[in-house]
Amino acid sequence: MHIAVVLKQVPDLVEELEIDSAGTDIDRSFLKMKLNEFDDHALEQAVLLKESAGAQVTALALDSDGVDQVLHSAVARGADKAIKVAAGDGPFASRQAAPALAAAIRSLNVDLVLTGVQAADDVFGQTAPFLAAELGWPHVSVVSGVEPAGSAVRVRQEYSGGRMAVLEVDTPAVVGVQAAPQSPRYVPISRLRQVMAGGPPESVTATAGAAPAGTMVVALAKPEQAGGAEMISGSTDQVAERILALLSERGLLRG
Amino acid sequence: MSLKAIALAILLAADLGWAGYRFWRLLRPVFRAHWENRFDHLPTRAWGIVTNILFHSRLLKIRYSGVLHLMIFSGFVILFTAIVQAFGEGLVPGFSLAPVGGDTWIALSQDVFDVVVMAGLALAAYNRYVRRPARFEGSNNRDATIVLLLIFAVVGDMLLQNTFRVAVGNDPSASWRPVSSFLAGLLAYAGIHGQSARLPAEVFYWTHVLAILAFLAYIPASKHLHILVGIPNVFFRSLEPKGTLPKADLSQPSVGLKEIHQLGWKQTLDLYACTECGRCQAVCPAYAAGQPLSPKLLIMDLRDHLLESEGIGGHRHLDGGGALVGGVIKDETLWACTTCRACMQVCPLHIEHVPKIVDMRRELVEQGRMEPKLQDSLASLAQHGNSFNQSERMRARWTRDLGFPIKDARKEEVDVLWFVGDFASYDPRVQRLTQAVARVLKTAQVDYGILYDSERNAGNDVRRVGEEGLFEMLAQHNIAVLGQASFKRIMTTDPHSLNALGQDYAALGAHYQVRHYTQLIASLLRTGQLPIKRRLQGVATYHDPCYLGRYNDGFDAPRQILEMLGVTVHEMGRCRENSFCCGAGGGRIWMDDSKLKERPSENRIREAVALGDADWFVVACPKDVVMYTAAVQSTGMEGRIEVKDVIELVEMAVAPEPVPALEMGEGQVTVA
Amino acid sequence: MGKVLVYVETTGDTVAPVTFELLAAARALGGEVEALVAAPDPGLVAAQLGGADTILTMAHPALAPYLPEAHVAALAEAIKSRNPDTVLVGSTSTGIDVAAGAAAASGRPLVAYCLGLEPDGGAVVARSQVYGGKLVATTRTEGPAIFAVLPGAFKDAAGRAGGKGQRALLEPPAALGALHTRFVSASEPEPGIDITRAERLVSVGRGIGGPENLELAEELAQALGAEIAASRPVVDSGWLPRQRQVGKSGMTVKPKLYFAVGISGAPEHLEGMRDAELIIAVNSDAAAPIFEVAQYGTTCDLFDLLPALSERLKAATG
Repeated sequence: MHIAVVLKQVPDLVEELEIDSAGTDIDRSFLKMKLNEFDDHALEQAVLLKESAGAQVTALALDSDGVDQVLHSAVARGADKAIKVAAGDGPFASRQAAPALAAAIRSLNVDLVLTGVQAADDVFGQTAPFLAAELGWPHVSVVSGVEPAGSAVRVRQEYSGGRMAVLEVDTPAVVGVQAAPQSPRYVPISRLRQVMAGGPPESVTATAGAAPAGTMVVALAKPEQAGGAEMISGSTDQVAERILALLSERGLLRG
Repeated sequence: MSLKAIALAILLAADLGWAGYRFWRLLRPVFRAHWENRFDHLPTRAWGIVTNILFHSRLLKIRYSGVLHLMIFSGFVILFTAIVQAFGEGLVPGFSLAPVGGDTWIALSQDVFDVVVMAGLALAAYNRYVRRPARFEGSNNRDATIVLLLIFAVVGDMLLQNTFRVAVGNDPSASWRPVSSFLAGLLAYAGIHGQSARLPAEVFYWTHVLAILAFLAYIPASKHLHILVGIPNVFFRSLEPKGTLPKADLSQPSVGLKEIHQLGWKQTLDLYACTECGRCQAVCPAYAAGQPLSPKLLIMDLRDHLLESEGIGGHRHLDGGGALVGGVIKDETLWACTTCRACMQVCPLHIEHVPKIVDMRRELVEQGRMEPKLQDSLASLAQHGNSFNQSERMRARWTRDLGFPIKDARKEEVDVLWFVGDFASYDPRVQRLTQAVARVLKTAQVDYGILYDSERNAGNDVRRVGEEGLFEMLAQHNIAVLGQASFKRIMTTDPHSLNALGQDYAALGAHYQVRHYTQLIASLLRTGQLPIKRRLQGVATYHDPCYLGRYNDGFDAPRQILEMLGVTVHEMGRCRENSFCCGAGGGRIWMDDSKLKERPSENRIREAVALGDADWFVVACPKDVVMYTAAVQSTGMEGRIEVKDVIELVEMAVAPEPVPALEMGEGQVTVA
Repeated sequence: MGKVLVYVETTGDTVAPVTFELLAAARALGGEVEALVAAPDPGLVAAQLGGADTILTMAHPALAPYLPEAHVAALAEAIKSRNPDTVLVGSTSTGIDVAAGAAAASGRPLVAYCLGLEPDGGAVVARSQVYGGKLVATTRTEGPAIFAVLPGAFKDAAGRAGGKGQRALLEPPAALGALHTRFVSASEPEPGIDITRAERLVSVGRGIGGPENLELAEELAQALGAEIAASRPVVDSGWLPRQRQVGKSGMTVKPKLYFAVGISGAPEHLEGMRDAELIIAVNSDAAAPIFEVAQYGTTCDLFDLLPALSERLKAATG
């Protein structure tokens, strides 16, 4: 089985996000990016399938600043190959990225595409369904386990309230991974550096889709704190006293 | 040649051949192992033999055992003459040691030390079977018993042989053998003397010889091998700086210790030197906390695994077969180590436990086998240069509320470059202490600066967790930043950073003179550059941080400071190089400690409280502040003892205005 | 405003709460409210939809148990034949499958994670949660589009009644007979602790640091007479069982007291608890999104506060 894992970088949420001067995007000048955590799980799932079922794994990502490191990490994690898809200057929404990624995937003989179920910045829709539509393949999202099943795969889809279902999808298919059966494994820096020493990843060119017509971001802002919490400050004792009083007022104290 | 001589010669040849063969098989892996240069500083090495072997320096730290060992050891040295005599007489007609005193002072020594050894054996047996010290738990008691019995057989038979020889009546050394003579006298009462003593004398000659031969044949399969390996092992001990770890070639696919044969020759020899004495186990904080790590058992397991892999068979059968890392030595065992080095400090044979553990951890890291909390910490270190998963830009946040600016050492020249460290920068509990250091240095008008958000974790614990690649990455960054800055000396508030910058970075070509802040403060107090405004009154006990004390011999400065401030220091039993680790080192602070029987830090607080009169538990390391503050709470000792960093006491004494004391306990401040 | 089509999500034959919220939102946008029920026997579900003007029923055996491929096809077909101006889908597991799939099939733009929708002339202005809830993106969409709306963003009351209740039959698309996805099995969570029944919850997030610190929270819970709950990262790390998970892929709870400790307030978590009566949050980051839904908050160090609070509670309640 040949698995393609689609990876994307998103802003590292540990940092404070600033809004740019136009007020419609984040300030990308001092941004620290990191691999989308769900894509990380997708990669882990792919490597697990490689280990258990001998699958071949190719990591793909659209070219952007710092993507080389992401692809190198993927290889250091266990991907057999990494391909950078050059589709022009981003950043691209998932829907625009999908045609370029689909073109690259079509040139490989892929049975299964794994990617993260969502990303922090995909307000215009998620990668997996759009990619599936471009490729004309079935898709399932919010998956927390993938197993090979002949010419299909069995996936575990999660719903709210702890419910789950196991579905079988004929390959080729696209799966949006919520979580891999185990946490993404650690990759020692020494191995990453060894991969990096092998030079930049292979690059292919493709065309991205047009921006989604009919909709655009008109403002990006910190959420209003209207109706936000009344903050209690002071020493530990003072805060504890205040909370106790609150609970007492509401009749929430036991006994 | 007489029949006796022929028989003896055959026995001796067979025994030497057999024992020799077994020794050769034991030594093979040592010779096959890769080279380690332990042939430098020969005079220092030789002197180590005198102090360690002759003077039993480390052995005597446990007085009872040290003394009994000295008795048996010295006896063995003296009684070597008896072995020479026995074989000499038997093989060479007319052989005698008489020309060199064999019938006089040598005879006397033999008789006396025969008794000394037997007394030593009695003490040893009492220790092992009646007192049963905890450090023997896990040791191979069967082996120990056989050894005691064999020694007893040798010296007992020798005494009997000499006694009967004296009883025969024509022994030239009789007048120099008080014990044998005394016993011969008793025999005379029983009517055994002269002719009737001849046969027994001969019999005991042979039992003596057989006991010696049996002993020789037994040694290769026993921990008693240490009598041969001990001296070389001490001679070839590491003279490198204490934190030295095995070299890692990061261009190789595999960096860590995967198989036992990858150990260097001295590391391999270490395994044979272990006497299973358990001194290491007794001081190990992980073992005390109920973790599955005993440095002694680790070495024993490595030894038995080596022997099994050589086809010789280990002393004990190991359950976890197969791979070295994960099989013979379990993951949890390796991760339990705090790298405090207490084990290496007390080992009489200078066995190197910690480098082996770190080497095996490298293999665990290679395979990604670590708990999630540790993985998250390493990911945070790789992404942000700190283990708190916070932006690098937040590193110098603590400077904001100071009320005065601190020089940016990246932009301006400074006298002292202050390498602050992760915990001191990011942990809210420690930040206020960092601010105190800043204020005190300003009061002393020290020209200092920091690296602000260009500083990264120094990498000490990253290295000891086994992530050499990440360590290099962090180190290279710090070295580049330091290379751009202009300063005369480096000071740090963090002993772990002290160790990395001062020792580990040298391997990457960066040699820094780094001092701990207590050394700087002590000299400022001494010269008066930092004047004491008011002396303190109170009793404190000082806890030596592992990486300042044991690793870098920094014991005195903090004590000098306390003394100058007027504080009375009441030392804990486990102080200075015997300090008991707080449990945070070696990356343990990034791991889950919910399953511990008793955290090392709690154990230590109880030790301090047991002193009875200590108001303050004084520390000099940010991780200690964190660990011990939590321990005082979890042991319910609030009100009985208070954790204070050295800087807090210093500031109380030197601040221009008296600082509001934070819960003073019973200590007082009086105006100077 | 023309026509709004709401995709009806069900659990078995019960309409999911989010659907009523969508119907209310649809009503607020103005215009005709249509609801698509794609099920083997739509009648059972249709009876519950008092808030829709026209209930579109599409019957086909392949529509249950739920298969993403089937429902994407169903919704795409409904969009094709009814040509609504606006399509509303819940931002749930099902929603992720269906909304984007239908958007791709119909060529319409999709705006996800909506917290609010407002008509603006002929356009729709939506506010969406992005970057883990740290920022809100306002979008303006003209022309036909699909919106995925977060559960809890709208109150459900207006969506339960007031509709004209007409019915219309939709032909299922041919694709439903040639699916590449098959149902294998389903599982319900094991019975055990039911945090949805607890009146008070002390919920822990990653900020608790590690399982060894859970006892602080447990003590507080005991002193409060509360149950322990957790955010997803805590459950994923194995510190607490999944039955205690609050959030999008866990339980939705509406207790009298929700005491959030060390939880940052990622959107997926907020979804599960924002309707609690009294929310008090403890987090060292004053900008943590949890403070938007909490009535009271503090940045006091939880390791100091929890024991202090437990002590006082024990003293006060004897």
